[in-house]
Amino acid sequence: MKAKLALCACTAAALAACGPDPINPKRQIGAQPYLPPIHQYLFPPMHVVKNVGWGDAAPKPASGLQVRALARNLKNPRSLYVLPNGDILVAETEGPGEPASRPKQFIFNWVEKKAHSSTKAGNRIVLLRDVDGNGAVDMQTVFLDHLHSPFGMALVGNDFYVANTDAVMRYPYQEGQTQITAPGIKLTDLPGGPIDHHWTKSLTASPDGAKLYAGVGSNSNVGENGMEAEKERAAIWEIDRASGAHRLYATGLRNPNGLTFEPESHALWAVINERDELGPDLVPDYFTSVKDGAFYGWPYSYYGQHLDPRVMPQRPDLTAKAIPPDYSLSSHVAPLGLAFYTGATLPATYRGGAFIAEHGSWNRQELNGYKVVFVPFSSGKPSGMPEDVLTGFIDGDQAHGRPVGLAIDKQGALLVADDVGGTVWRVTATAR
Amino acid sequence: MTDGNPRSTAQIAGHPLHPMLVPIPIACFVGTFLTDLAYWKTANLQWAVMSSWMLTVGLIVALLAVIAGLIDFLGDARIRNLRALWIHAVGNALALILSLFNVFIHSRDGYTSVVPTGLILSTLVVLILLVTGWNGWAMVYRHRVGVSGETP
Repeated sequence: MKAKLALCACTAAALAACGPDPINPKRQIGAQPYLPPIHQYLFPPMHVVKNVGWGDAAPKPASGLQVRALARNLKNPRSLYVLPNGDILVAETEGPGEPASRPKQFIFNWVEKKAHSSTKAGNRIVLLRDVDGNGAVDMQTVFLDHLHSPFGMALVGNDFYVANTDAVMRYPYQEGQTQITAPGIKLTDLPGGPIDHHWTKSLTASPDGAKLYAGVGSNSNVGENGMEAEKERAAIWEIDRASGAHRLYATGLRNPNGLTFEPESHALWAVINERDELGPDLVPDYFTSVKDGAFYGWPYSYYGQHLDPRVMPQRPDLTAKAIPPDYSLSSHVAPLGLAFYTGATLPATYRGGAFIAEHGSWNRQELNGYKVVFVPFSSGKPSGMPEDVLTGFIDGDQAHGRPVGLAIDKQGALLVADDVGGTVWRVTATAR
Repeated sequence: MTDGNPRSTAQIAGHPLHPMLVPIPIACFVGTFLTDLAYWKTANLQWAVMSSWMLTVGLIVALLAVIAGLIDFLGDARIRNLRALWIHAVGNALALILSLFNVFIHSRDGYTSVVPTGLILSTLVVLILLVTGWNGWAMVYRHRVGVSGETP
């Protein structure tokens, strides 16, 4: 009986994980990641960790830092935005749900359900206010309700923008306001359903406030829903704030998030989730400056001009133009949040660099990500290896939480939205 | 109940279940072969999606057919003694194992879910089914397995 069980386990493991040995993720960090040969699985590994919550525990900060929960019991907090008066906005949000068109997707949808928070999000934005400036929330209101899978937020003057999964909406905002009841005005439609595979629409405004930039993820892993479903997706949109007209600023970006202008060079940066099912170490997710008019390969090629054999017909005309991104973060870490450090209260080493939240892998036997890292910058470019800032989201095969959205608050602390943990964490320097 | 024909045990009112079930996986696996061919030639993803559904349905109903067939096999020694049965059983077991692999291959995304491995597997399965189907029909029409009435 035991032997039989062992045999079963071996067969299952062989089916799921039969593949190359994973490489050290460190070999895939930085400008020149090692790219192993493609390995297509018989069945892709799905290593989903059990969500157990935090209890009294907290993530582990790097030395010189301390972490406290700013707000708990939030419903799927996914993105953060800090208003000029210091109020913190938290989008409680979840995807609109994807219809299954192949037998595989029933299995994937079921697995993904386990990986994500089981809490029903309200699809709303919650406001947190620290009245006395002591780093604790004294007031919590529902800032904006009845939204449609909101994610990106941006304020330009008195115009507050929300990127729902299917449209950018504009609302009037006055400083100090704790609730918006005015109906929104649609600035532009964004590609939404009926599939809406990558549904998070990241949003930021240009430094001069004239344009908005929206990240629009692909509608599939690698084009398997047909290229008609990918119209104007896997791209960053540049939206004219006055007219709502848009153009594709950059394309071939499978799932771009964390759109942010780098404070020194004023270049647009983003973190991108690359494709799955080519092996545990393909394709590395990345962090890059996004160049106007550039094509980054998806779905035809990755990391420049490495062809993906799953896409047919190929497009040699497009592939020839594909450029590699700036900085690899290693494979399947799922970066979703980005914040450049513009504050002054964290240790000096963090000034000007980038914090990146890695939501964590699920289709790789050895877990990767599940932490917040810091990439140092100098003259507007990454200047070193990433360092761990916040870890401890994973404990063996259990997840306390998963980091998603990042922001810097008015006092210069790093805020981390943890969707599975239902918490917003606040990272500050340890008291001397 | 004294006729000399080998009797079907998995039957409803004298109608054996196994022959009722087998047309579904046969049609599904032959269909997969055809839609795989169509996808190879056109790269229209609709065909690959159809293949993966037909493979899945074919495998599920084939499992039921295997159960009905096994019950018949265990229920009457005269069935077990047929030479045609062994080719039928071993061949179909092979076809099902290949189809199981094929369902995994078809779970990949895009072109490599079919070309070349998926198409090779669905072709092999159809070739095996030509032999095992012939054998299966021989067991009914020639050896009168599950046929009611008198032996000549």
